[in-house]
Amino acid sequence: MESAPWESELTLAMKAEFGDSVLEFSTHRGQEFVVAKADSAIAILEYLKYEADYDYLVDVTAVHWPKRAGEEFDLVYILYSFARNHRLRVKTRIADGYKPQTSVTVHLTANWLEREVFDMFGIEFAGHPDPRRILMPDEWKGHPLRKDYSIVQMDDAWVKENLGIESGH
Amino acid sequence: MPETFLDSTELILNMGPQHPSTHGVLRVILKLDGEKVTGTDCVIGYLHRGVEKIGENRTYVMFAPYVDRMDYVAAVSNGLGYCLAIEKLLGVEAPPRAQAVRVILTELNRIASHLFWLGTHALDIGATTPVMYCLREREEVLKIFEAYCGARLTTHAFRIGGLQYETYDGFEQQCLAFCDAFPARVDDYEALLTGNRIWIDRLKGVGILNADDCKAYGVTGPMLRAAGVKWDIRKALPYSGYEKYDFEIPVGYNGDTYDRYIVRMQEMRQSARIVRQAVQSLPEGPIMAKVPKVIKPAPGEVYVSIEAPKGELGYYVVSDGTINPYRLRVRPPSFVNLQSLDKMAKGALIADVVAIIGTIDIVLGEVDR
Amino acid sequence: MRKFLRTIFLIDLFEGLRVTLRYQHPKNIYTEQYPAERPQVAERYRGAPRLNKNPDTNETLCISCDLCAIACPEALIVVTSIRNPETRRKELTEFTYDTSRCMFCGLCEDACPVDALELTQDFEFAQYSRDGLIWDRQMLEDGPRPTPYKA
Ligand code: SF4
Ligand code: SF4
Repeated sequence: MESAPWESELTLAMKAEFGDSVLEFSTHRGQEFVVAKADSAIAILEYLKYEADYDYLVDVTAVHWPKRAGEEFDLVYILYSFARNHRLRVKTRIADGYKPQTSVTVHLTANWLEREVFDMFGIEFAGHPDPRRILMPDEWKGHPLRKDYSIVQMDDAWVKENLGIESGH
Repeated sequence: MPETFLDSTELILNMGPQHPSTHGVLRVILKLDGEKVTGTDCVIGYLHRGVEKIGENRTYVMFAPYVDRMDYVAAVSNGLGYCLAIEKLLGVEAPPRAQAVRVILTELNRIASHLFWLGTHALDIGATTPVMYCLREREEVLKIFEAYCGARLTTHAFRIGGLQYETYDGFEQQCLAFCDAFPARVDDYEALLTGNRIWIDRLKGVGILNADDCKAYGVTGPMLRAAGVKWDIRKALPYSGYEKYDFEIPVGYNGDTYDRYIVRMQEMRQSARIVRQAVQSLPEGPIMAKVPKVIKPAPGEVYVSIEAPKGELGYYVVSDGTINPYRLRVRPPSFVNLQSLDKMAKGALIADVVAIIGTIDIVLGEVDR
Repeated sequence: MRKFLRTIFLIDLFEGLRVTLRYQHPKNIYTEQYPAERPQVAERYRGAPRLNKNPDTNETLCISCDLCAIACPEALIVVTSIRNPETRRKELTEFTYDTSRCMFCGLCEDACPVDALELTQDFEFAQYSRDGLIWDRQMLEDGPRPTPYKA
């Protein structure tokens, strides 16, 4: 099923506000999403929070598309508005190595969620207050949810040093 | 770490990872000024199994048993969320009978999860009796699960498109008998705890998180409702036929630990109400929708979330048209809720931290995935 | 005033005590006496695996179709067979099942077209070593033999 273009009062207002920075308004299986340029993501989150009541950041996550040269990652913000009872996704496409601005300034909950994205994908967030790994050990090398990281892969040196065993593969 | 924490009057105390009140392997680094907590830092990941990575390397059907192992006290809810997400991706819907059975089992699971929470939370606070009674009632629920699908905890009860198992003989009676007996049991717990002066002294005014903070931290579930926000995904964005049942969303006022306790107690009563309605109106019919033998959704992505016992449990699934999910993200309620610990614990005493961790109702399997 | 009296007379304490004392009654005791009494698990219980045999001929029901091995998320089942040149059918030679990695999800049982593989009600199969948890065909057909508990 292809996604269809989406138009509503909100999209018109956002078009007026952001112009070319918003690339696409679509709906897919009844779920709306916005694709935006990477550098305007925070401005859009702010706009959505203060002007359009999307005041609850549900999740921040990423998807790795290694074959898409120059746009290897989708960075996805899932938002919800209590007032509108509506969920919205904001997506940006970023290159490997690009450092998107942190959204902790807008939504406090992004702190751990962005740390997890960094941990799993190696996307560093500029201006993040606490840029550490969260689930993997601090000294671990590699980012497990990248597509080039195999499911049995381990940081052999770390395992040997900290657990005193040969990793089992 | 700001400089001030290195002040000579500050003490850094390690709580966990094997501390009994952290409900698993959570390590909290407390920064203390006397007995006052000035900051916390959670170290998590001890139970990280890479569930999302496993998901990318399994087919849609094969991954279903793994989701039970995230929040293992509410495995049925996890399974429901996963099945709904994949069904949405495929564009199918479970038949009415399957939906009703799903509701029954998920609500029973909510009761089981809250009971387990109540028992362990009370144990943390120092009330050692309720845990015995709570586990006894939970046992009744687990017996229903065992008879229905053959497992007590990691149930794997639902399949994509509906159910694998038809209900067994006596399923309805057993559920109704449970619903009949249960409210009196909740009264018993309340007699033990609600008015108890120690319980009140330990919980009232501890770990306050008001509605705005809840929204800023993305906190959902009973914690959000205890702060007075009447929001429940079962009502706001109904799924699996929840719009058909008549139930209320209990809310609190202060957003403190005591209110969360009250909210969860009320929720159990409401769940029993839903179970009764669903059993009494259980429709006949097929239990499996038409799904292809090999599940291969068209390219696309969905985010589907349900109201798990702990809050909003979401699945963000990206398909690239193959038999494996391209990306499978789980939005765990415990993980997000745990983040608010720092805010709640600041200025509290060490003993309160135990109460606060207990009241978030975390399951480390879900926090770390 | 009422609140004061409640506090003075320890009403909350006695309310709680009433509940606990009520459950002291022997008919309210709930404890299971395992292992002295083995509990009856549900009929659909997913426990120890078994490879069923035809009770009349004592031949295995398994047709070596390998579907269970394909269905298993943990890929822990290995089915080996040879093709009988006369009947052109596959005949089962070896069947290994690694219970140490099994999560008893039941997908293999669902996949089996002839109900040869079944998860049974046996739940006592602890072993002294991990090797003992890898079951061969013999073990799967006979089932585990737990040592009876002597009180
Ligand atoms: S029960 Fe599940 S994990 Fe165990 S062998 Fe069967 S399919 Fe594999
Ligand atoms: S699916 Fe059944 S018949 Fe086929 S190999 Fe497995 S046990 Fe044998």
